[in-house]
Amino acid sequence: MSALAFLSPSGCEPELLASPLVRALEGVDPALVTDLSLDGKVELRGDVDSIAVGEGEELVRLSAGRGLLLTDDPAGAIDRVRAGGLRGYDATGLLAGFAVHGEQLMRRLTDLDLDALPAAGPFAHVAAIVLRDDGDRFRVYVPQELGHDVVHAVLDTYAGLPAWP
Amino acid sequence: MKRKEMRLAPREGERIDRSREVSFFFDGWRVTGFEGDTLGSAVAASGRQVFSRSFKYHRPRGLYCCSGHCPNCLMTVDGVPNVRVCVEPIREGAVAAAQNVVGGLNTDLMSAVDKFGGPFTPVGFYYRTMIRPRRMWPLYEKFLRNAAGLGRVDERRGSSRRYDTEHRRARVLVVGGGPAGREAALAAATEGPDVVLVDESLALAGTQLDGVEVLTPARALGIWEGNLVPVEFGTTMLRFRAERIVVATGALEQPLVHPGNDLLGVMLPGAARKLVRDYSVKPGETAIVIGSDAEALSVVGDLEEAGVEIVRVLDLRDGRPRDLEAQGWKGRLRRVLIDGHRIDCAVLVASSGRQPAYSLLAQAGARIEYDGALGAFVPTELPAGVEAVGAVTGRGLERTDSTPAYGGHGKCFVCICEDVTTKDVKRAIAEGFDSIELAKRYTTVTMGPCQGKLCQLPSIKLYAQQVNAYEAELGTTTARPPWAPVEMGLLAGRNHEMARRTSLHFRHEEAGARMMWAGPWKRPYAYGDHPEREVQAVHESLGVIDVSTLGKLLVEGPDAAGFLERLYPNRFADMAPGRIRYGVLTSDGGRIMDDGTVARLADDLYYVTTTSTGADAVTAWFEWWNAVWGYDVDIVNVTGALAALNLAGPLAREALARLVEDPDDVSAEEFRYLDARQIDVAGVPCLALRIGFVGELGYELHFPSPAGEHIWDALVAGGARPFGLEPQRILRLEKGHIIVGQDTDSESNLLSSGMSWLPKLDKDDFVGKWAVEHFGEREEREKLVGFRMEENVVPAEGAQIVIEGYPVGRITSARRSELVGEVIGLAWVPPERADPGTRFEVRVERRMVGARVMHGAFFDPAGERMRA
Repeated sequence: MSALAFLSPSGCEPELLASPLVRALEGVDPALVTDLSLDGKVELRGDVDSIAVGEGEELVRLSAGRGLLLTDDPAGAIDRVRAGGLRGYDATGLLAGFAVHGEQLMRRLTDLDLDALPAAGPFAHVAAIVLRDDGDRFRVYVPQELGHDVVHAVLDTYAGLPAWP
Repeated sequence: MKRKEMRLAPREGERIDRSREVSFFFDGWRVTGFEGDTLGSAVAASGRQVFSRSFKYHRPRGLYCCSGHCPNCLMTVDGVPNVRVCVEPIREGAVAAAQNVVGGLNTDLMSAVDKFGGPFTPVGFYYRTMIRPRRMWPLYEKFLRNAAGLGRVDERRGSSRRYDTEHRRARVLVVGGGPAGREAALAAATEGPDVVLVDESLALAGTQLDGVEVLTPARALGIWEGNLVPVEFGTTMLRFRAERIVVATGALEQPLVHPGNDLLGVMLPGAARKLVRDYSVKPGETAIVIGSDAEALSVVGDLEEAGVEIVRVLDLRDGRPRDLEAQGWKGRLRRVLIDGHRIDCAVLVASSGRQPAYSLLAQAGARIEYDGALGAFVPTELPAGVEAVGAVTGRGLERTDSTPAYGGHGKCFVCICEDVTTKDVKRAIAEGFDSIELAKRYTTVTMGPCQGKLCQLPSIKLYAQQVNAYEAELGTTTARPPWAPVEMGLLAGRNHEMARRTSLHFRHEEAGARMMWAGPWKRPYAYGDHPEREVQAVHESLGVIDVSTLGKLLVEGPDAAGFLERLYPNRFADMAPGRIRYGVLTSDGGRIMDDGTVARLADDLYYVTTTSTGADAVTAWFEWWNAVWGYDVDIVNVTGALAALNLAGPLAREALARLVEDPDDVSAEEFRYLDARQIDVAGVPCLALRIGFVGELGYELHFPSPAGEHIWDALVAGGARPFGLEPQRILRLEKGHIIVGQDTDSESNLLSSGMSWLPKLDKDDFVGKWAVEHFGEREEREKLVGFRMEENVVPAEGAQIVIEGYPVGRITSARRSELVGEVIGLAWVPPERADPGTRFEVRVERRMVGARVMHGAFFDPAGERMRA
């Protein structure tokens, strides 16, 4: 057992885990806000540009010495980056994640430049990492302990849009 | 009195749709207008003239600028105060109510101030009067507060509108949709995308410009650094970041300051023009027009076309009259006296010229200078990224003639927002307020709703005239945002108050917990009304508390031991992996910063816990020192990644053994006090720490936060009774454990807090070592001690400790302990009163109650239960 096994939700059976957003998203159309909280995430320390990003993985460079790796296999990714001389920490439980749609929604929640994502910055007044997928789908990662309220802010903002989906 | 309808026959170019009638209520009367009207134009069309009462003298006021600048049409509309009805679009069923009146709009009892109060209410009267007798101040204050201000917010109404904030980016943002602004926007659009034009008037509604996003009515409220421009757009605040800002705000018509210049029927040329052209409303039957530029005088054509009889046109460029006085009856204009000639009229359309609307440019950092040829202030030296086009630059404007120097009788207002007269300004100068900035604060000129748009130039000119100075020497007052009044709700935006919730938050609520704020966190106070029963469960059987809020940091790297050794006053390099030690962080001034435990998980890996509110500060502290010292260490804040539960009570081991694969893993021999080890609990990998803040056999389980509810359920099903923060506070007091931040403050040090055993002064160095050594050498000022109350009363936290009538200390924590059978607590006392058994008195509810000093734990002082 690794010295940091206790950090990894992937060490548990999936049915033992619950997303921090589960209450906030009760009764909400998943197409509106998609919960990504339990997807694997690894915080990287070291020369993040030197890491080999695997298929299906995504690297968000937060600074020269810090990055976030989105991966389906956090344990494997941690082994791989540590073997490469970097340090990796399972951040799956650290960050709540969700996907939303719409530029106007995003503009009401963050002042980040939506054409210059991924980036770290405020989202609903909370420190967040924001990524943009094709079209107008955005992924947002925030501290899990604030995720419930952030999703409430997202839903409230949706409700104020001229065209409520 | 029968009112005459002032609506004209249909005219080409009018903005109203006569096929669509719209009705609303104005001061209790039903008024009908047309789609395209504003509330103000519809009221004017109905023949009504009085829209408001002035701020101080309660004089009747009517439409004056029709541009949303002046205060004359401020009303409370649908509960929202201070709405300018001259630019508020008409809507069915709207209710526009008068504000700042006692009685009615036409019969305001406070207008007595205008007739009789003048001598008693000179400029700055509120600084000098109603001071004595002092005991009367509460009454004066109540009166002044009721008399001051304009509209009132209805606190019972709540928020009647939804306000949103939207962050926008633009390559070019053009402010102002006049010819120059439109031209600039179109030119910018040929160079690339992302060109936005904002204009505050309704006139551009529906306008399409190729490649330009036109937002109207939208008002830019200011320009901040970084080219941030907040734009009021309905109930949404658009926060623009623009690469380039083009200001095309044009020029503002300036009033002619003469006696009687606020009577009903006196208005600016732009207002008369707008009433006629846009809304087909006749301003009056007869009019005098006075102007100092072609723009103002051109209104004659509009008025004639509307059937208004022009009885006199006075072109100030040909020379100004010596005397100019508007006279009226019951606030309504009846005649104008020009150099002794009496001319009857219903409307006086007058302007002294136009002043560039430079405020936004000034906010952006432009220099504002007086142009002697123009007689107005113009922007110069624009900052990078900001441009000005059109009349705002002064180009195309004629010389103004704004000096208020007309003879006549009656009040002559230099500022109609604040009811400041030329006499007031002269008096202020006589009293020594001879700088324009000081005078602004004393007279409040330019501080009203128009924000100086209509009064700054005349007041500066009056000052220049009175103090024999040049306008260029006086300069202007500082232009500050917002450029125009804005609703507070729009500034505030949506109220999203974020609370940090542990992954067990909803389990606590389901269990009936009363949640409370604990710093940024929501935590259970207790599960029901009997915290003492939760305490009892921990002492007698088994309890579980959510301690996920504790800060949790990983410190990893070959230099980890050396790093912690140098940060903390005590030792960590000599710890074996799998062991835990209590740690207190000291500032470089030797004061207590935070505390927690440090577990060594491997030679190069430590797990550090902090107080619940200290995680972010400690992380920053660690990162700061790591950057200074350059160690090969990574510091990772994993507070949110891990949930944590403290399982405590005599049955803790037994309960935990049932949830692990091999019960021997948690036996007393295998898992000793202050051991740290990884075990699987109910199928979840946990870091278990054998420590106890609450004084009983206990395990702190740290595990992935998504598994929080699963572990909680397993422990509760195994017999653990949840306990909240309040029981925890009682339990830790029984052990005499301190809470940093509650029992200590920014001046507390390790020695005075009874932890002289902790700092290892034989270490080469640690943060704050010099100061800790210094504390040891000097006489202590106070000591933190335990105490027992002599009576069964609980003193408030912060209660005074009194010895021989003098306050000498304070209570930091106090609770009743059923186990101890007394009220116990912690307190700061003078060193000479810190010996065990020393008596002191505490002020509790206005009486003194005795207490005695107690050292050590109140319960299980040897810690046998904790170490069992």
